[in-house]
Amino acid sequence: MSTNGKSPSTLNTFECVRCGLTVTVNAPDGVRRNHCPSCLHSLHVLDRVEGGPSECRARMIPISIAVLRTGEWMLIHRCTRCGELTSNPICGDDNQLILMRMAVRPLAQPPFPLEAFGDL
Amino acid sequence: MPRRNPGRERPQRRKKAQHAEPGDAFRCVGCRLDVPMSAPGTAHRNHCPHCLTSLHLDHRVPGDRRAGCRGRMAALSVTVRPDGEWLIIHCCQSCGGLSANRIAGDDNALALLRIAMRPLSDSRLPVSALLSL
Repeated sequence: MSTNGKSPSTLNTFECVRCGLTVTVNAPDGVRRNHCPSCLHSLHVLDRVEGGPSECRARMIPISIAVLRTGEWMLIHRCTRCGELTSNPICGDDNQLILMRMAVRPLAQPPFPLEAFGDL
Repeated sequence: MPRRNPGRERPQRRKKAQHAEPGDAFRCVGCRLDVPMSAPGTAHRNHCPHCLTSLHLDHRVPGDRRAGCRGRMAALSVTVRPDGEWLIIHCCQSCGGLSANRIAGDDNALALLRIAMRPLSDSRLPVSALLSL
């Protein structure tokens, strides 16, 4: 513990590649975050298939939300350069409007008419 | 169920080579349904139209068949391309790998809608953000 009452790890920050927001690495609830809480974009620094660091370092866009059996929400990112998919848990301060926009987007563009489900 | 057909803006990638597996059908690892490889609306069927379960065969490139895992892949979520095409995101149950595949014309609409509704049926905080608009 340093003299100003904060451990050095809480002072680590990164800059969002899309919106330029300076973000602390540790979220308020203590978990390590990997995406910007404002625009939810991320950076491809970890290779999920092989494990370890990735050389890609391209921007990753959030494409969907997955709800696990435990009720936890996962954010699924896709790399704009190599197309790799990653999933990460959401943080408490993530932009909820963008989260909801991703959740309702499939229902806004259904491939089949949803009226038929009213009869079920 | 009839499908809306908005016209395809994006042509599908052609298959480079025929895969090694013989035959024109596969058996689903989830529900044991015999599924023909030919599907309406897609040339790259990789999941069961009934339970949407897939098998972890491809490594990095779709169709490369280089994954040594062969685990069962369960449908995790649904995402939409900018042109309105739905994709299913599968998660491997044994290694945790993710993959995305376009839905086929005969995929179970009720199963797809259940996955799409999952975040909305959760009565947690983000729903209140939408209601407060």
